[in-house]
Amino acid sequence: MNNPNAVEVRSLSRTFKGGVEAVRNIDLSVARGEVFGFLGPNGAGKTTTVRVLCTLLPPTAGSASVAGIDVVADPAEVRRRIGVALQEIGLDPVQTGRELLELQCGLYGITGADARARATELLELLGLTDAADRRTKTYSGGMKRRLDLASALVHSSEVLFLDEPTTGLDPASRRTVWDEVARINGAGTTVFLTTQYLEEADRLCNRLAIIDAGEIVAEGTPERLKADMGDDVVTLALDGADPAATETALDGLPGLERIVAEPEQLALYVEDGAGSIAEIVRRLDRAGIRVGAIATSRPSLDDVFLQATGRRLEGAEEREDA
Amino acid sequence: MTEVLLLGRRAVREIGRIPEATIPALFIPLFFLVVNIGQVSKTFPDTTPFLHGQGYVAFQLPVSLMFAVATATSGLALVTEIDMGYFDKLLAAPIRRSSIIFGRLTADLVRGLMGSTVVLLAGIALGAHMASGFLGAVVLVVLAALFGVGYAGFGILVALRTRNVQATNTSFLLFFPLLFLTPNFVPFDRLSPVMEALARLNPVSYVIEGLRSLIILGWDWGKLAVCVGVIVGLVGLLTTLSLRAIANYDRS
Repeated sequence: MNNPNAVEVRSLSRTFKGGVEAVRNIDLSVARGEVFGFLGPNGAGKTTTVRVLCTLLPPTAGSASVAGIDVVADPAEVRRRIGVALQEIGLDPVQTGRELLELQCGLYGITGADARARATELLELLGLTDAADRRTKTYSGGMKRRLDLASALVHSSEVLFLDEPTTGLDPASRRTVWDEVARINGAGTTVFLTTQYLEEADRLCNRLAIIDAGEIVAEGTPERLKADMGDDVVTLALDGADPAATETALDGLPGLERIVAEPEQLALYVEDGAGSIAEIVRRLDRAGIRVGAIATSRPSLDDVFLQATGRRLEGAEEREDA
Repeated sequence: MTEVLLLGRRAVREIGRIPEATIPALFIPLFFLVVNIGQVSKTFPDTTPFLHGQGYVAFQLPVSLMFAVATATSGLALVTEIDMGYFDKLLAAPIRRSSIIFGRLTADLVRGLMGSTVVLLAGIALGAHMASGFLGAVVLVVLAALFGVGYAGFGILVALRTRNVQATNTSFLLFFPLLFLTPNFVPFDRLSPVMEALARLNPVSYVIEGLRSLIILGWDWGKLAVCVGVIVGLVGLLTTLSLRAIANYDRS
């Protein structure tokens, strides 16, 4: 165990045929025992990074090691030490949940009565005992995700990779997965989790990196990243007001750290949000600018994302769909 | 070896669980057998020299056996797994990639043994008899099943190369020219010169000839040796190409 880190990534890049640079020169370190979050929108490079770390894709440049093993030099040993639940739920629809887990056990060298016992244990742990002998094609989305997670847990992995484990799940199933991730990590397994959900990253992760367009734009603990944003955020809905004129009117506001312009609103990072609202309204009145709702909040990871990329992550999926 | 057995058992389990993939694969060869016999049995009565006293069903039976075993089932199963993400799960497991292929081919062998047994029994029920006896029947079934294993390698290769369900499905159609550019209805010397030249270039012809010899002639070691050689070559070539394709899968 020469490398104390569970995951070590140095200058990693991955370019696909056609020149698409999915991951650009990223560096990452994940300590053993951490729940590390990899936060970013769709297409940011999260899944590509996970696939490289799981030995499913070779890097184009740079290096990566998992559990102290180089993913290119000894991929078989890396695979023995990791558990993987990829974004696309990987289940064989023809098999039952129990058969699938017993097979998965066999692929990790657990056979016979041990495999049967482990499958039964995992089915119970993830609340799938009643459906154990049904073919997986009859499972709901939440059940499939839980079974997929169970299949990643058949052996005692050192590092568990979970690629967007709650995408598409209802709130109850999402909570079950969160609880399970916390339990797994509590048992000593390092968890590398990708997500596009801020709440998930905030709740589960000891540390996280934000990736956008293949590059890491921020990294740290959720608390540190938010603290670096300033004390409070005041959000002004522009409602047709001129953004430049509004910024000018607010220039010199006491306690103002910075203003980030968004398509239809301004985010003001101030020392005291509630205490600033009266002065903000006065200044806008003086300048003859009418704005919509004014709200104050503590900085969130979305504000961190906004600061780093110039756009929000929250609701990005819905905006893309629209 | 354990992982091949585990993956093979899983693939074999699919045979019974997806009857819609197996039943049509059996219906078509039986259909062709009955229809072809019905169409030409009067033209080629059992006094026809190349039938050696048997009915035309004996001559046609090897063609139906080939139809029964040459399927794209494994290729389709594999490309579906690629599509659904289960293939990645297998690739992320600490197993040799080759075991995924060998697991699939195990199911093809079982499927081939079952399919060729059913077709052979149907042929016998329609009047064919094995000139090489019971042992010949066993060899016939095994050789046909092994041909199916070789052919399955082609579907697997297409699945791994294209990762496309439609392309893998239509790869089965390539079998038709291979099967019909052969002495499937009449012997080589009854074909037109062009057809005979093409049929003699087609290795599938020699598989049909070898299988047919077991039914009509008995133990013709020369024909059997060529038949076995073609099957071994086919299995070796397509399995090697499939293994290379899976070894290089997402490795560049």
